[in-house]
Amino acid sequence: MADFFTNMITGFSASLTFTNVLLLFAGAFIGMIIGIIPGFGPSAAIAILLPITLSFDPTGAIIMLAGIYYGSQYGGATTSILINTPGDSAAVVTTFDGYPMAKQGQAGKALITQAIASFVGGTIGVVLIFALAPMFAKLAMKFGPPEYFLLMLLGLLTLIWMTDDSKLKGFISALIGLAIATVGVDVITGNQRYTFGSPELISGISFITVTIGLFGIGELLYQVYAGAHGDAEVNKNVDLSLRNKKNWPSWVELMANKFAFLRGSIVGFLVGVLPGAGATVASFFSYSIEKKVSKTPEKFGTGYMPGLISPEAANNSATSGAMVPLLTLGIPGSASTAILLGAFLMYGLQPGPLLMTTNPEMTWGIVSSMYLGNIILLAINIIAIPFFLYIVKVPYKLIIPIIVVLCLVGTYSLNHSILDVWLLIIFGIIGFFMKLYGYSPAALVLALVLGPTAENTLRQSLIMSEQGLGIFVARPVSLIFLLIILIIITAPYISKLTKRKKQPVMEESSNIEY
Amino acid sequence: MKKLLLSFLLLITSVILFACSGSESSDGEKISVNADSTDSYPTETLNVIIPFGAGGGTDLYIRKIMEIMESEDIYTKNIKIENREGGSGATGWGFFTNQTGNPYYVSPTSASLFTTPLVSEVDFSYESFTPIALMGADDLYFLVNANSKYETLDDFIAAAGEKKMKIGGVGQVSDEMIIPSLFAKEAGFEFDYVPFQSAGELATALLSDSLDAIVGNPARSLGQIEGGLMKPLAFSGLERIEHTPEVPTFIELGYEVNLSQPRGILLPGEVDEEVKKWWVDAMKQVSETEAWKKYLSDNGMSEYMLFGDEFTEFLNKTNETFKTSLEDTDK
Repeated sequence: MADFFTNMITGFSASLTFTNVLLLFAGAFIGMIIGIIPGFGPSAAIAILLPITLSFDPTGAIIMLAGIYYGSQYGGATTSILINTPGDSAAVVTTFDGYPMAKQGQAGKALITQAIASFVGGTIGVVLIFALAPMFAKLAMKFGPPEYFLLMLLGLLTLIWMTDDSKLKGFISALIGLAIATVGVDVITGNQRYTFGSPELISGISFITVTIGLFGIGELLYQVYAGAHGDAEVNKNVDLSLRNKKNWPSWVELMANKFAFLRGSIVGFLVGVLPGAGATVASFFSYSIEKKVSKTPEKFGTGYMPGLISPEAANNSATSGAMVPLLTLGIPGSASTAILLGAFLMYGLQPGPLLMTTNPEMTWGIVSSMYLGNIILLAINIIAIPFFLYIVKVPYKLIIPIIVVLCLVGTYSLNHSILDVWLLIIFGIIGFFMKLYGYSPAALVLALVLGPTAENTLRQSLIMSEQGLGIFVARPVSLIFLLIILIIITAPYISKLTKRKKQPVMEESSNIEY
Repeated sequence: MKKLLLSFLLLITSVILFACSGSESSDGEKISVNADSTDSYPTETLNVIIPFGAGGGTDLYIRKIMEIMESEDIYTKNIKIENREGGSGATGWGFFTNQTGNPYYVSPTSASLFTTPLVSEVDFSYESFTPIALMGADDLYFLVNANSKYETLDDFIAAAGEKKMKIGGVGQVSDEMIIPSLFAKEAGFEFDYVPFQSAGELATALLSDSLDAIVGNPARSLGQIEGGLMKPLAFSGLERIEHTPEVPTFIELGYEVNLSQPRGILLPGEVDEEVKKWWVDAMKQVSETEAWKKYLSDNGMSEYMLFGDEFTEFLNKTNETFKTSLEDTDK
């Protein structure tokens, strides 16, 4: 615990300089704006701004880049809530309950709740880094391909909890996602699959394109189909000011969900620590867990606050978690932290286990700046919310072209690829039909995100074990995962069995009632 | 309120526009007019096309070169840097091919310059461009987990006779696959190569005792080596590097294992001989600066520099090694 305080004091004394706070503010703000644009997630945001930071001193520059990193995590959720278009893949889950809330006229409340959840997630994440970073680093070091494969399998299994309307349709959606994931270079053999000789498909179909297409364009088409563009009378009298109590979640509501905040933050952090898992997986996991432990799982997807809080807390906490392997081991856990690693190298710093001892001001300065960044972002978000809410007031027919342009431009600029734009449109149409016939775009995206890692790690494990499955039982961590998976699969049957035993008693009691 | 909203929208739009224009050099606005160079090269903005993402190895060194060219006033006009990533370099170099004859474009080199044309149908190869200079080379460490029982390369080879080793690297068609293959062939053992998608996953796989050994370049491995997580048994460069003077090269130990990730610079095909000469001289100037020498040593890169025709020859040789190694693994 003594470490905790020394770390914190070192950190805040390094980050609380005028320039650094200014850079942090700029970074967080720019990150948030970029995060709002569909297609621009944290990694794109950092990559774009990396060259600009070259002229700053290392600590300031990395503080700014880190600010962009979690700033975009905040921003990504805004469009999820307002127009059902996730700014990046980590904000997909936010659409599940955030968008229904906005549709019910609670957009302000949803945005503020999301900002608070992100803040709580970010804060808990930072506290965990200060206190326990070295311990979590050890956890990350236990994860080899077999463990990752089982983790991904576990992720795919949570689809069972997510898609309860129609398990079959959810399953089909996930299979489509897995099929899309096979496009590109087969990492294990180096052969190309389904690229049809096109160099643009060598690196596969980006899940960002698919996500924006399915959710953004798909939702637009659906709204047009449903006739939303015709009705020009859009809540002209909505009071958007922050003084309006209706735009705030009440203290009672927040306290009622305190465990959703906590669960989301912790799940998010743990997933974030694992290299390769990241914020997207964290948000899906926490949503599934939240739904599983809830007493009212049927309310999820209808604009239910825990369904918004938990994944938002998780994706921000995962952002902090992802800094752990970077700072303690010098191993980047995600695309964004890989770019941050590049930034470290650019300044002649060598991230690794020694970074904390050789450059404590820098390491803890970055971590403490993350906390300051969270405070700044909470403030910016809440102040900016009335502007965002204007979107609700604008007639839908005017919004449609703006969203289409944003989606097209965002997608094109990712890789300068016109093929991506076509894919966007195709997935938009697929998304429309999926929504029309009750298939699950979310299951598709999750399978697309998890699929490649699941495939690669399974095949890596099999090479390692020379084609035997024993490797999954032989390693302690993977054995634990295997047991958890077994429990998840068998739990419904076991509970059915125990229910059957109790049935006579229940029938008696129901007889009395009748 | 409306004005505020309007300015907010303007801000968003400008960010988008900025984002779409690609990442430009931070010092892009600097214009210095040199009176006697108005009619001679260069008279226009230089476009640097990087076929990989910002923050990666290729991105970092070419940006460093450009930074030096600006700060030393070697290139007197604007320099615009653009990342066009995708398709293992296919997108960026594909675009670069379309600039044939234009002396205001340059591009970095990478192992993908050889591998991508070898494995997929693209309309360029390394021969489509004008080689200017090799500014350094990235070689690989052969690493084992710090708590593994192998202390020397001989220990490893001896153990490899008893069990089939699992060695990991990034990518299947890459220099990281070729180095262990060359080594195994020279030392006469069999092994399974386990390809990974990113350096992060690869490093955790070794640390979690999933693999017997991995390869990794100094920039990304020195942190773990100095931090006592990994042990380097050998280095694939032509000479030892100053960070780890105790680590022998494969060649010293008697194994002909060397295939560098070339950190060079290219111009589009069919540029004037004059321009080519200008660039060779400019790169010689850059290579002699303190800033460049410091960059090489900071990143553990080998000080291996070649200019003009020598560089062309080096490219031919490297391509040959890639070709034969890939054919070998296909069998």
